[in-house]
Amino acid sequence: MKTDLTLGYMPLTDSLPLLAAAQLGFFRDQGLDVTLQEEVSWANIRDKVIVGQFDGAHMLAPMVMASTLGLGGLNKPLIAPYSLNLGGNGMTLSASLYRELESTTRGRPGPASLKQLIEQRKLEKQPPLVLAVVFPYSSHNLLLRYWLASAGIDPDRDVTTVVLPPSQMVDHLRLGHIHGFFAGEPWNAVATADGIGCCVATGRDIWQNAPNKVLGVTEDWARANPDTLDALLRALYRAGAWLDGNRAQAVSLLAEYLPVDRRALAPALLGHTGYRPDSGDAPEPDLLVFHRYLANFPWVSHGYWFLNQMARWGWLPGDQDLSAVAAACYRPDLYRRALADTPLPGQDWKGEGIHAGPWRLETSQGEIGMGADTFIDGEEWQLRSMNFLHQSAP
Amino acid sequence: MSEQPQHTRVMLVDDTPARAAMLEQALTDCGFQVICRMASAQGLMKQVAEHQPDVVIVDIESPDRDMLEHMTVLNQHLPKPVIMFAEQGDSNTIDRAIRAGVSAYVVDGLNPERVRSIVDVAVARFREFQALRNELQQTRTRLADRQVIDKAKALLIQHRQMDEDEAYHAMRKLAMDRSQKLVDVANDIVSVLGLLAPKSQRTRDQ
Repeated sequence: MKTDLTLGYMPLTDSLPLLAAAQLGFFRDQGLDVTLQEEVSWANIRDKVIVGQFDGAHMLAPMVMASTLGLGGLNKPLIAPYSLNLGGNGMTLSASLYRELESTTRGRPGPASLKQLIEQRKLEKQPPLVLAVVFPYSSHNLLLRYWLASAGIDPDRDVTTVVLPPSQMVDHLRLGHIHGFFAGEPWNAVATADGIGCCVATGRDIWQNAPNKVLGVTEDWARANPDTLDALLRALYRAGAWLDGNRAQAVSLLAEYLPVDRRALAPALLGHTGYRPDSGDAPEPDLLVFHRYLANFPWVSHGYWFLNQMARWGWLPGDQDLSAVAAACYRPDLYRRALADTPLPGQDWKGEGIHAGPWRLETSQGEIGMGADTFIDGEEWQLRSMNFLHQSAP
Repeated sequence: MSEQPQHTRVMLVDDTPARAAMLEQALTDCGFQVICRMASAQGLMKQVAEHQPDVVIVDIESPDRDMLEHMTVLNQHLPKPVIMFAEQGDSNTIDRAIRAGVSAYVVDGLNPERVRSIVDVAVARFREFQALRNELQQTRTRLADRQVIDKAKALLIQHRQMDEDEAYHAMRKLAMDRSQKLVDVANDIVSVLGLLAPKSQRTRDQ
């Protein structure tokens, strides 16, 4: 069994499962000697996983499908055998733009007020607003586009989208190069703490408990190293459980890796959107979920939704059998193998957008609590509508 | 072969000026036209539209890579050809390039041989630059090692009443017995005896 591993990560709050597993000795307890390597771009993460410089990495879920389908700069079949987190990202607009929206809206500004502003700007012959995302094939970009489209804003024509590294978002916002961004924490909290931006929507406002990052490995690597993969998943699972139970310690642990003000690391981890202008003191414990709600299970329906959105925006070549691609990339069978002694659901798919509040799911170890999964526009994705021919695990 | 090569237009994005200069020289020597050299990809999209390069060579450690990736998606909606990573089929070239720290974005349709030779030049120069940097690092380390060893020697002379030769041989023997490097033994001695020194100083002061 291969025990010396190198794993890549981007310095973000949701890289914590890897950081915690390394710091707390969970990798070592599984017999793994893991070197973590910080990366500067998502493209690097993907490329280094593909050429074998990394055994696996903290990865954007849609990137796994994009690389498998040959849409990226470098392509090879990648798989997601494990989900690292739900939520943990959000959208920030420049403080001045936010105030402008506020002045024209009753209640909390949302996509509808942005639509109004965009139409106004068109009449005044002003250039389109510039919004930044971290990578084209990311839950960030897909959630941003979903949010815009929910109010009739065309993400390709009505705004200009650019790509920036997460760590540069706040500076570009400060310099006025962009009007807003959609990025992972802590960058929304940093922009707010600096008084430069206001969070107009968290990922949760668009899709509650939306999938975000996964552990990405090549299909070849997973096939060649089954025991190592099992050990890796077990270490990460333990880290996820620890993170959900020890949020305050998680802030301290993260502070060792991320050179930003601790006050900006806390909101997502401690579950208070103190940075959202109108949130008051109401706690939001589900801003970022590492473990509960079966958060680590790689639901094929999550992959399906991402693919469906990629098809919606015309990014997929030809006719693709989305459910087949989703089932090839999302690999609950590997999760089930590694974590056989943990609660496992009866199916690999679940309906999305159909649970408005907490609900119970029957698992191999009795019922467990699940989180809401509704969308901003109330769209429902029933299992029968997803055409899941490949529902049973291979 | 003389008609087409001169017109392969290369854009460099590298925030290490010395390396960018080296690379530009090497590419020019090989008959490529370096049309633009940028320290960061800020405004890259505009530059690409303006200069219409055939190849963009980027330092892999540049966070701007994701912006180039975005252009591959965007280009589906633009008249400009798709930009992609080197030659998709040639995994060997890609592999070497990534390990050397360089990545290439190539306009679709450019002669694969031409692409490979550009990437080869870039890889060689990146390696050369890395070697220089490593050498400098090694020289610095050697110097630092020697300082630690000298300091350990001085401490042994002071605390154990050894002469210089005895101190050196004691350290060598310890290194051999513990199968450690001399500098590691010296570091241990400095940390242990270095702690003692101020204490004994204090005792004497009282």
